Amino acid sequence: MWFPAWPLRRPDAPRDEPCQAVGDDEIVVAVNERAIAAGLRAGMHRREAEGICPAVITVRRDPAREMVLFDPVVAAVEAVVPRVEVADPGIMLVPLSGAVRYYGGEAAIVDRVIEVLDATAGPGHRVGVATGPFAARKAAELASPAAPYLVEDDAAFLAGLDVADLGVEELVATFRWLGIRTLGELADLPRPVVVSRFGRPGLEAHRVASGEDRDPVPRALAEDRSVEERFDPPLDDMERAAFAGRALAHRMFAGLEGVAPFRIVVEMEDGAGALRTRTWRSLDPFDERMVAERIRWQLRAWIEGRGAGIGGGIAAVRIRPFALSSGGRQLGLLDGHRGSVEAQRALGEVQAIVGPDRVLQARPQGGRDPGERVRWRRWGEADIGDERDSGAPWPGRIPAPSPAMVPPQPEAVEIEWDGGLPCRIRLGSRWEPVRSWAGPWRRMGRWWDGEPVSDRYQIVTSAGAFLCEVVDGRAALIGVYD
Amino acid sequence: METRDRRSIVESTDDGGVSLLMPAPGKVLALESPPGFGLTRLALGMMERVAAGPVVSVDARGWFSPLGAWEVGVDPERLVVVRCSDPVRWARTVAALLDGVEVVHAEVPEGVGGVALRRLAARARSRGSSLLLRPLRGRVPAGIAHLRVEALAVRWDGLDRGHGRLRRRWITLRISGKAVGGTMRTIEIEDDGTNALRVVPGLAVAAPGRAAG
Repeated sequence: MWFPAWPLRRPDAPRDEPCQAVGDDEIVVAVNERAIAAGLRAGMHRREAEGICPAVITVRRDPAREMVLFDPVVAAVEAVVPRVEVADPGIMLVPLSGAVRYYGGEAAIVDRVIEVLDATAGPGHRVGVATGPFAARKAAELASPAAPYLVEDDAAFLAGLDVADLGVEELVATFRWLGIRTLGELADLPRPVVVSRFGRPGLEAHRVASGEDRDPVPRALAEDRSVEERFDPPLDDMERAAFAGRALAHRMFAGLEGVAPFRIVVEMEDGAGALRTRTWRSLDPFDERMVAERIRWQLRAWIEGRGAGIGGGIAAVRIRPFALSSGGRQLGLLDGHRGSVEAQRALGEVQAIVGPDRVLQARPQGGRDPGERVRWRRWGEADIGDERDSGAPWPGRIPAPSPAMVPPQPEAVEIEWDGGLPCRIRLGSRWEPVRSWAGPWRRMGRWWDGEPVSDRYQIVTSAGAFLCEVVDGRAALIGVYD
Repeated sequence: METRDRRSIVESTDDGGVSLLMPAPGKVLALESPPGFGLTRLALGMMERVAAGPVVSVDARGWFSPLGAWEVGVDPERLVVVRCSDPVRWARTVAALLDGVEVVHAEVPEGVGGVALRRLAARARSRGSSLLLRPLRGRVPAGIAHLRVEALAVRWDGLDRGHGRLRRRWITLRISGKAVGGTMRTIEIEDDGTNALRVVPGLAVAAPGRAAG
């Protein structure tokens, strides 16, 4: 259910002249019929639109105000079909499966919902019916104002859509270059191939193209992850409520351990103890900023909407995350993934320049000397097991803080001793006096294999601290505390 | 206009200067001190704070150890080390990284000229990435770095004549460049083994670089 021109439902947006609403990124989000007639489309850059139609009136989008108007519409639809989810002011997802039996068929509910929409919001809506949220949204885009667009078979419907409908520019460009023009062609590719080439965003795109976005990869979370903030005395100020919303969003994500919800429920208790609830859904996992925004829009809708305000102020706000994806916040389909794809591409390019053995990742493992405690592997390769047990005690291990520079082989160094105590160390061409030192820490090694005994020293000079070892009277540098 | 900007930059450092040190999009930071003064941990600590994606370090000497990075909080899965000491390949590598990674720490091998560095600085600016340069020898030529950081002194605590162990260090840094309005400031950083970026309050701000005589 979609109102394409919802952002233009405001007093300062004239109906009889071309008018457009732009977001903060200067991209046109909505145009009225006059503007469509003049050749403007949502998705254009503001400057491009103004170039095509210089007379267009531009208003800046205000989602919080749009939500104030939209909330009563949602409430009215919710009276007909429960568990309505808001995707954006002007877009809601209405789950039909539960209500089909009650109303006696999809068509009957859709008619009923359209009646409600006409009564509360007037004309201008588009209704699409499909199994998955992505397909339903695309169906609504294709629906005419007069008749809803019913999708019988999601997979067949999606197969005919252009890959650009994924809305992920970087992926789309590469898909086209590879000759993939429709979502059907993408869905036909074996999933492992897509994943190995495009990683997580590729997987998400493939799932969307196959109509499997209904259930995000579920990940079990043991306990309830909802977060709540109570206010005593109750809040009566929108700004403070919005601020509290930001803090709540932050707390919720801190408790989610890297998973991200596709759906959140915002609950508010007013001073009189009455509870209000609204569900928000996103096609892409929510991030912290998005959640904070949704909370602010929703609270404002409740405070300023029809039915006038909240009795006794806001006593509590609670956020419940649902439909958690294991994809993680950075890897969402729209927001964070861009950085991740670009970074992977850059590292891939670097691998081609310097060779695969020189682009490395590492993980900690057991060991005594700093060089032993790092398990290197090539970037992009699967993690290999420990060479040395990280759970073992490793007596004689050099304590933290660890040197940030460790030569691949011990580097010979000259140390001057005075009665067995280090007094000067040669750094390049200079002799530096030793200010203080710790050691010797003896390392026995595998004497049965002929490994020699070594004594390790931490040596501090005015030019920094160094980790040295002495084997058979010869000193060598094995770490620099840089 | 310029005077006002300058003052506002200097006055806005209530946190003792740590915000000045933070890598900013499109800016180049020069870290100029020989190994031992603690600038690697300092750089990694800063990167850990600002980078949302991978933390990439270009290792020209071949000595980079991830232990220090892990201790300052960098997740092993996010840390990528690129080993490259050839000046020509090094420049191509850093350029490729700046295209996709938001913050890059790179040791500069000998033989990389000012022209190549200037080109990389321009690239960082156009891509909005930040670049932390650590020359193996010498200094970064003038006009490239937004902020220049030099370690003046380093002190360690926790050991004595044979006993104890390294525990805590204080680094005295001199920072200069456009980011501090062309003046010089001195700050002291305390590294307690986990947080490499705690600014010690109360250190007298050094006099501006030029003195009247």
